[in-house]
Amino acid sequence: MDVFEVRGRLDVIAEELASEEEEEEATDEDVFEQGSSDVSTHTQQMKVSTDSLTPDRASAVCDAALCFQEQLNKRRSKLSQKIVEMENFASNLEEIFITVEENFGRQEQNLEQHYNEVLQTLLQRNEARAAALDEQKNSKLECLYGQLLRCGQTLDASKELIESAQELHRRPDKHGFLQAVMPVMKRVEQFAGEEVDLKLGVSLDFQVLTPDLSEVRQMMESINVLPAPSAPVMNPQIANSATDTSLHVCWSLFSDDTVEFYELYWRLISDDCTMETPQEVSQLKVKETHCTVSSLRPNAQYELWVTATNTTGISPASERAVYMTVPSPPVLKPRQCVSSLNAALIRWDSGNTDPVESYTLEFGETGTDGSGTESIVAIPSCECLLQLQPQKIYILHVRAVNIGGPSDRSEPVHISTTGTFFHLLEDTAHPSLSLSADGLTMFYLDEDLPISHMTFSDNTFNRCVAVLGDLVPVRGQYYWEVEVDEDAEFRVGVAYEDTQRNSHLGGNNTSWCMRHILTPSRHKYEFLHSGWTPDIRITVQPLRIGVFLDYSRGILSFYNAALRQHLYTFSCHFLHYVQPCFALDNPGALTLRTGMTAPAYITP
Amino acid sequence: MALTQVSSNKCCDGYQKVFEHDSSELKCKMKFAIYLPPKAESSKCPVLYWLSGLTCTEQNFITKAASQQAASEHGIIIVAPDTSPRGCNIEGEDESWDFGTGAGFYVNATQEPWKTNYRMYSYVTEELPRLINSNFPADPEKMSISGHSMGGHGALICALKNPGKYKSVSAFAPICNPIQCAWGQKAFSGYLGPDKSTWELYDATVLAESYSGPELDILIDQGRDDQFLSSSQLLPDNLIAACSKKKIPVVFRLQQGYDHSYYFIFSFINDHIKHHAKYLNA
Repeated sequence: MDVFEVRGRLDVIAEELASEEEEEEATDEDVFEQGSSDVSTHTQQMKVSTDSLTPDRASAVCDAALCFQEQLNKRRSKLSQKIVEMENFASNLEEIFITVEENFGRQEQNLEQHYNEVLQTLLQRNEARAAALDEQKNSKLECLYGQLLRCGQTLDASKELIESAQELHRRPDKHGFLQAVMPVMKRVEQFAGEEVDLKLGVSLDFQVLTPDLSEVRQMMESINVLPAPSAPVMNPQIANSATDTSLHVCWSLFSDDTVEFYELYWRLISDDCTMETPQEVSQLKVKETHCTVSSLRPNAQYELWVTATNTTGISPASERAVYMTVPSPPVLKPRQCVSSLNAALIRWDSGNTDPVESYTLEFGETGTDGSGTESIVAIPSCECLLQLQPQKIYILHVRAVNIGGPSDRSEPVHISTTGTFFHLLEDTAHPSLSLSADGLTMFYLDEDLPISHMTFSDNTFNRCVAVLGDLVPVRGQYYWEVEVDEDAEFRVGVAYEDTQRNSHLGGNNTSWCMRHILTPSRHKYEFLHSGWTPDIRITVQPLRIGVFLDYSRGILSFYNAALRQHLYTFSCHFLHYVQPCFALDNPGALTLRTGMTAPAYITP
Repeated sequence: MALTQVSSNKCCDGYQKVFEHDSSELKCKMKFAIYLPPKAESSKCPVLYWLSGLTCTEQNFITKAASQQAASEHGIIIVAPDTSPRGCNIEGEDESWDFGTGAGFYVNATQEPWKTNYRMYSYVTEELPRLINSNFPADPEKMSISGHSMGGHGALICALKNPGKYKSVSAFAPICNPIQCAWGQKAFSGYLGPDKSTWELYDATVLAESYSGPELDILIDQGRDDQFLSSSQLLPDNLIAACSKKKIPVVFRLQQGYDHSYYFIFSFINDHIKHHAKYLNA
């Protein structure tokens, strides 16, 4: 941290403290004065009335005492606050001091290192020069030595000659002397004729090379110059720091470089193999070591890297880090949620085109203000089966989670555990059926729809004009009612989820239903399974049929709910979960009533 | 009225007893069977009256129908009276099996020599309940009635003629429209005389057509292979038509393969007791 900055901050803090104190003192004084005046009046009152201490006076004294107590408390808390602030300030100063010390230490080290380098270089140059001079000396000496040797040889030769001449001179034999003297005289003449080189072969001067000190100069200059920063290091993504459109990116500098600003780069990582060109890189100039990048896509991975720049230059790029934005919130599907007295099956759409890691479901009873909220985490798929308390209404939200963190909460859905709740499943409905907006009434309209208008799928009934409902996949007890028109020819009951879509309800061994047939003379009722029905006559036409399913006892019962009259019970051990089923054999309407528990006459 | 216990057998944790008494309506000694469930030891229980069919006594039902298990489970007293006065020494009373002894038809006879003793209607609807209520832990407000064949006819007419008295009614192969079948015509002309308007007072189909009172919930089981059905003695279709017209709730089950015997009653008695329990234990 810059020393000037530090000083600036200190001044600011001091000012703040001073002004606070002044304010406080002023207010304190006022309050104190007021308080003390109150107390004094009260004490006066007290004095006056100590003789006759009526309850009123006594309470007035109590009030005064309380008032004074309050004021003391207030001042005490203010003082303790101030103490805390001072402590914070002191620790702040400590931090600054330590940082400055550290910084200076580092600078010192830096300089030492630099100078060491310079010294090394100088030494090297010196040694080089010394070596060169040494060489010169040696070569000169060699040369001179050679000369000396030759002089020596010449001396020896001339000595020899003189001796031989002298010997000859001393020879008494005149004849012999005359014979030998001529070559000797020639030799001496020759020798004397030779010029003796007496010059030195080498100069006595040394060549002094000027060493190359430019490098040293450069190094000396660079001591006062900042190095370019080294590469920063990207921090890994902090948990829960991302939103669905932004990322909070952090990095660190692990050297003591001075940095003027950073440049952050980012690029969307696309799994899309059809994109040949990589996504374009965006960048942002940032002064701090963190930054929030916005306008991003949800549930997407981004590659980020950063460079640091100062007056000397730009650092190399950091390693690339991958951050992920949080997903978009999922969308709960209330029509596909079902509940019973003590369980619910919740379904939702992911809300994201790419997969997410998991989902979190949060739920609590309405009216508890979130104090009793439970969460279920790490849900791998878009549905969840919950255990709940009976006779309550719950509010549920779901979030999508990826490595970036959880998404925002979805829009809520309300779930009741006051009975069996479900809706008609539109994607199983025969095309001739239209469902009401609330998913509880089905209409078989008296129109001849052309075949081309009918869109069948694998899941829709294509012969029986039928539709399925849904139940919580728990083997418990369920009850619902069906309201029919007088002349509606209907089938209501249950079927396995995979009941044949090209067959009629009750006509196979995967469905059980009560059927009403209208003949010209009377109403006929059948209780169908595998195409067989018992022979049963019913005298009062049921217009509100109660259907009761009990997995553990293996029964499916039908009642005239208005009369509480039992009509018929199938006994069957259901091998799989069954779903409510409804069909109309002629144009008409049928309405589902849910949310009730089985009436007492059914489950005594 | 003094009751004499004739027999007592523990059964399904309760007691199947038979009592004898002097009947004031019938002016003779009468026996009846009564099953007391375990619950009767500690509290009052509702009562189901069972009326047996032609040729039966108070023994047939309690030995052949196996009703004790369901009665014990649901905590219901079952009272099964005899089907006619006995030992009255009336001339001709033993001549036929479908008239006289064992064939009281649950009417109050108006014709001689029957009118003194053959008052089964009053016996079943008045004397017997009074007797039961004062001698046994019976809840006087909770009564239901059921029966087989002639007894089914008896149950239906008692219920239809006494709106609100019985909480529920059921029948096995009942004679639904006696004035239209051979049995009924024989019995009514003997007990009630030639005036057919007096017969209508004891005909379930006719009574249904003019019924007004609290809602009934009638369960009727009929064996498909019942010889008397095919010989037009029972005529359930007429009753069903009348009840449909008058919106009297009936569930009528035609049971494949079953005949008129106690095996048929045995097979479905649990459903009937459960039907009654729904109302008696409510």
